[in-house]
Amino acid sequence: MSIENGSFNLVFGESGCGKSTLFRLCKREISPAGKKSGAVLYNGKDIAETEQKTSACKIGFVGQNPDEQIVTDRVWHELAFGLENLGLESSRIKRRVAEMSGYFGINEWYHKKTDELSGGQKQILNLASVMVMQPDILILDEPTSQLDPIAASDFIGTLKKLNNDFGLTVLISEHRIEEIFPIADKVFAMEKGRIILCGTPESVCKKLRGHTLEMSLPAPSRVWSRLGIDCECPLTVKDGRKLLYKYYYDKLGSEVSVLCKCDCGSKTSAIEVRGIFFRYEKNSSDILENMSFTVKKGEIFSILGGNGCGKTTTLNIISGLDIPYKGFVKIMGKKIKAYKNNSLYRNMLAYLPQNPVSMFVRTTVREDLADILTALDVPQNEHNSYITDISEKIGISDFLDRHPCDLSGGEIQKCAIAKILLTNPQIILLDEPTKGMDAFYKNNLLKLMKNLKQEGKTMVMVTHDTEFSAEASDRCSLLFDGEIISSENPNEFFSENSFYTTSAGRMSRDFFKNAVLCSEIIRLCSGQEVLF
Amino acid sequence: MKAFSKIHPFVLITYFLIIITVSMFVSNPVIKLLSLAGAALFSFVITDRKERLENIKFYLPLALLIAVTNPIVSHNGETPLFFMNGNAVTLEAVFYGIDISVMIISVMLWFRSYSIVMTSDKFVYLFGRIMPRTALVISMAIRFVPMLKRRISEVSRVQKSMGLYSVQSLTDRLHSLVRVMSAVIGWSLESAVETSRSMKSRGYGLKGHSCYSDYKMTKNDIAVFAVFILLTAIMFSGASDGHLRFYFYPVISDLNTDFIADIAYSAFGILAFFPFLFEVEESIRWKYYRSKISALRMQARKKMYWKV
Repeated sequence: MSIENGSFNLVFGESGCGKSTLFRLCKREISPAGKKSGAVLYNGKDIAETEQKTSACKIGFVGQNPDEQIVTDRVWHELAFGLENLGLESSRIKRRVAEMSGYFGINEWYHKKTDELSGGQKQILNLASVMVMQPDILILDEPTSQLDPIAASDFIGTLKKLNNDFGLTVLISEHRIEEIFPIADKVFAMEKGRIILCGTPESVCKKLRGHTLEMSLPAPSRVWSRLGIDCECPLTVKDGRKLLYKYYYDKLGSEVSVLCKCDCGSKTSAIEVRGIFFRYEKNSSDILENMSFTVKKGEIFSILGGNGCGKTTTLNIISGLDIPYKGFVKIMGKKIKAYKNNSLYRNMLAYLPQNPVSMFVRTTVREDLADILTALDVPQNEHNSYITDISEKIGISDFLDRHPCDLSGGEIQKCAIAKILLTNPQIILLDEPTKGMDAFYKNNLLKLMKNLKQEGKTMVMVTHDTEFSAEASDRCSLLFDGEIISSENPNEFFSENSFYTTSAGRMSRDFFKNAVLCSEIIRLCSGQEVLF
Repeated sequence: MKAFSKIHPFVLITYFLIIITVSMFVSNPVIKLLSLAGAALFSFVITDRKERLENIKFYLPLALLIAVTNPIVSHNGETPLFFMNGNAVTLEAVFYGIDISVMIISVMLWFRSYSIVMTSDKFVYLFGRIMPRTALVISMAIRFVPMLKRRISEVSRVQKSMGLYSVQSLTDRLHSLVRVMSAVIGWSLESAVETSRSMKSRGYGLKGHSCYSDYKMTKNDIAVFAVFILLTAIMFSGASDGHLRFYFYPVISDLNTDFIADIAYSAFGILAFFPFLFEVEESIRWKYYRSKISALRMQARKKMYWKV
């Protein structure tokens, strides 16, 4: 592959297809060890032969975890770090740092501790501290995968601005390509360590028709691709809307027939939250204020909401980790307080945390699974059969003897689900289950959740991912200002919202009455049932 | 309002070194009391209400404890006050106990103020030039601590939510603590790999490391530094001839109050009260400016009024 000077390039593909390895090979200081053939040329010269200082400052690298890339304790020191390493005199360091913190708007938190920053700020800091070294090329390995949607689009906006303002060459890999796809000059599709396609976004879309990578494309392109219209591929919601009005004007105003999904045969409530008030400290303000909602048995309930609005806190309260100072939570008709010792966590309720790595304390996944069984008083000789059963069901047999830290995000999450399923819970709480996942893992997770639902399990998830919650849940609700504002089935919920909705929803807004998924748009347009 | 902390770090660290060394090693009650008063007043102005209360709750009982312990344990001295369990509790030991307690509390208060005033970045700045590697390690370590804390609480919460190890038995809890710690350390090492990548990719380890300094020595700083040195010199020249000598055992000695000793006391007094006075002066000046600003505004408003 070749990257043109000053262009914006996107690499996408299933996780584990070798994107990160490729990117790290482009940066000599961190290129992975192993057998290597071929070469990476920078300005016509092998990067292995470029001068050390040039290589360090001209090729910038930003990774995916905002926290782990920060080296020092203060923002200003972090910004100066790279330049200190290059041995610049302090007046020059100061000028460059001042310049960059002005450009990125870091001034307000310039003297702060790096630990006090939000995830989005941390990632901007990582970008800025690479930018002070004045690189020609910026390589970004899934930089927004750990950020919430608003911080992510801010970050991508900044990248676009850098590309426009300085002619900076950008090479980025991403799962959530919705926003990058339209602004990229060149797109590379990768599969199993090979680049299978490259070209302008439109041409790549065209060639991907029918390929498995199709489902990671932006929603408008996906609709276009499936409908098989012979025109330029739409990349943005705007173009998608044009397409609908142009080719399907006769279908205007159609409606998806919504099976009343919330009626799952049972009327009993699994979780009942009544008048909850919660705050972390005596003098702070309430995070949750008079929150009430009910989750019925056997439904998938999702809670959406902005950053820091108390979504995770809500889950903590339902799981009994945080205790509200007013109000109560009933699990299966029984108050949380009435569950003595660990009985709440036995055959009743399980919690999948945002960072599943924190669930594993042993050196292999198998040992961790065995731990749970021991805690549940399962006799030693039956452990193996339990573990084999569950790992076949979830599909983790291959990772059982690996160290939890060596697994990828999707793999470790599967193991975590296996671990919580061993306690045979009736209710599963999921905190941001799709964070940093690619389209394929999301699809797997969706299937898994549907299966669990079939078994009669109740699930509550909090998420930023509108598409996923539209697809997975029976009811969605919005958490704002400490309370649940509305809970409706996804079609009603997302078609009412104009901002907090899926891109398919935005695309078909005012055109169809309540379509919120790509598959629904396609069904309404062509009358055929499509499964992704 | 922390005017004192705006002084150049080098001057600050010199000041704290002087004041802490003197409070620890010059055994003279006047010096110690001055030091305590200075430390207490300074930490009073740089802390907020909540912290002040906490400080009082912490230091007062500690001071009492130390003061009481000495006469109970030590029976030196020639003036018995009363007998306890057949042991004499002497006047000298009582006073010596108070003396030690004043010394310890003042040194602790100075250290407390030190940690508020001398933030880690100042420390890194000061030593970054002499030992850049060490300074970087310190900076990384400081960053590491809150991260470690956060991870420990995260992992132990998650473990609790799975109903593991949270039974009331002590052995189980210890067991879980060990597990959680080992997991967190493993996890942190894993993330350290990423950190080291980020360091390498930004050219760490190349030849010629420089340091970004964020502080400039102003004339004001130099003047303050000169004052510190001068006061210290005066005090030590007074102390050198034994003018400040004082002892408790066997009998409490007389306190020397001749001319030279008085000068040494006043020099140290100014030194000990300096941070407090500096803060107060700064806040008065600020109020004065503000009143001037508002007076100007009033005038301007009046003018406007007349025009209309």
